[in-house]
Amino acid sequence: MIKDAPAILENIASTFKGNKAQKSALDMLNEVGLPHRKSEAYKFTPITSLLEKNIDFQSIVADVFDADKLYDEAGSHLVFINGELDIEKSTIADALKFEVAEVSEGKHDPFSLLNAAYAKEEIRIESGYEEPVFVYHFNSNGFTNPRIKVNVKDGHTFRIIEKLITPEEQKTFTNSYIDFNVGKNAFGYHTKVQNYNAETFSHETVVAHVSRDGQFYNNTFSFEGAMVRNNLTINLEDENTEGHMYGLFLLDKKSHVDNNTSVDHTKPNSFSNELYKGILDEKSTGVFNGKIYVRQDAQKTNAFQSNNNILLSEDATLHTKPQLEIWADDVKCSHGCTSGQLDEDAIFYLRARGIKEKNAKAMILKAFAIETMQHIKVESVKEEVQQLVDLKLG
Amino acid sequence: MISIKNLHASIEDKEILKGIDLEVKAGEVHAIMGPNGSGKSTLASVLAGREDYEITEGSVTFENEDLLELSPEERAQKGIFLAFQYPVEIPGVSTTNFLKTAINQVREARGQKALDAVHFLKLMKEKMKLVDIDQALLSRSLNEGFSGGEKKRNEIFQMAMLEPKLAVLDETDSGLDIDALKIVADGVNTLKTKDTATIVVTHYQRLLEYIVPDYVHVLYQGRIVKSGDKSLAFELEEKGYDWIKEEVAAI
Repeated sequence: MIKDAPAILENIASTFKGNKAQKSALDMLNEVGLPHRKSEAYKFTPITSLLEKNIDFQSIVADVFDADKLYDEAGSHLVFINGELDIEKSTIADALKFEVAEVSEGKHDPFSLLNAAYAKEEIRIESGYEEPVFVYHFNSNGFTNPRIKVNVKDGHTFRIIEKLITPEEQKTFTNSYIDFNVGKNAFGYHTKVQNYNAETFSHETVVAHVSRDGQFYNNTFSFEGAMVRNNLTINLEDENTEGHMYGLFLLDKKSHVDNNTSVDHTKPNSFSNELYKGILDEKSTGVFNGKIYVRQDAQKTNAFQSNNNILLSEDATLHTKPQLEIWADDVKCSHGCTSGQLDEDAIFYLRARGIKEKNAKAMILKAFAIETMQHIKVESVKEEVQQLVDLKLG
Repeated sequence: MISIKNLHASIEDKEILKGIDLEVKAGEVHAIMGPNGSGKSTLASVLAGREDYEITEGSVTFENEDLLELSPEERAQKGIFLAFQYPVEIPGVSTTNFLKTAINQVREARGQKALDAVHFLKLMKEKMKLVDIDQALLSRSLNEGFSGGEKKRNEIFQMAMLEPKLAVLDETDSGLDIDALKIVADGVNTLKTKDTATIVVTHYQRLLEYIVPDYVHVLYQGRIVKSGDKSLAFELEEKGYDWIKEEVAAI
């Protein structure tokens, strides 16, 4: 086993204060190491070396709470400051069941293990409350590991909107982990708006386990960040389940966003739909890797995936890779990715009707982006995304 | 209204227009005919300002202004309208929204106040009748999945909305059945006034039975090689283009 970046792990070892479960996560992490330079899963995002180069893992910086960053919307608002729930700053409805717990287990990949080992607490949220739950991470320290577990009980609908806020003058690394257990005939919904800055480094893991007749939706909108890695995994663990993944990465400057998604169909009659769109300007980099697994038992699976991209600059970079692994024989799967420049004929058509070039381009790009925004169910989030898109596209 | 003098245009170093002279006055309808590849569509595109073409020589004056200096949007704002031979499909942009933006940018450039939603809809309803286009079509993405006839009707509908001074119809008849052709032609004729002019680019004479030209020009090998009245169009319909080619070859 190649153990890479022992430097980082050694560096933070002295800060370890975890319990037994966390110690075993740490041991496993030391065993597997952080992604190696040649690690296939991080091929286009050399995360370990980027972190080594940029992040002071032990830096402790003043809090950056800003009430203006909270959505103006009914529902519960959970404010985390550097990985710890701040009850004072939060608005929590009585009906919302939650618990501040210790980390109970750690598994999966290196960054989930890293999170389990170093998370200060584990917040457990349970459905049974109708309004959306907004989760904010105000992180100013060098290294933070927010950790949340969501239980969507049988027959319930539960919406979580998550947002990370980091200071502009401070390099931070957030290694977050959120886990959804979606019960029978339940509907879990998760949306993220990633409008970070040039000093934000993040690795964000989202895992969903979907039970019979259940559905899980994820919307990820990325606008800026020094290095943002999204690991989204949906496990469709029973029959008649659905997984939906919608994403937009609209980047400029030197932003780098890597979307790594995976949906696993294990039982018959499940459905997944994935649509990611990228618009890349200036020196930005976008990565899309979409895995679809259809296990032998998962007959009558319908799985659709598409990733379409527009490059606006010669200095922008895009890597896109669909990956299908199918063991069942009676399935319907499709995938496709496109990337290209703005359609000059379309621009000319709009200009020939009197629309200024700048507006014509914006019109076409907005129309391109809008398809990914159709599944935002919370009005103020929809408005925010719309505004960010308008701002970026002029 | 528009005066084209010795116009030369090339694309990727290949000269397509080799000296066009054409004068169109307000109230007139000019037909540009010619065999395939003669440069008809290039002329239409150059007038609308397509940047793929390089103007190597000559001038175009539109209402005493140097047209070649203007961007495509400025030309549209000043009153030039190109009905595209192949209208572009633009997913996600509805015809209604697109036209609202277009009209208001044109109005802004002309120093007029923006149309509010009520007046815009009223204008739309009025113009929709003209080309027999229905609301459902206009709510859809621009030209996406439209039939050939619907696309061309949408072009004329846009023309009706924008009320240009000079309309350039590029092969508007192609892909139209006789009913659609009549609707489109009726629309164009209704919009015609003594202050507007129309250039009809077409390969066949059939559109000209409905939009009757004052002048007919034959474009061949990048030049206007023959001009006449509408009887020239009938002659071309009857005899084809070979005799024109022979005449040119003989010179």
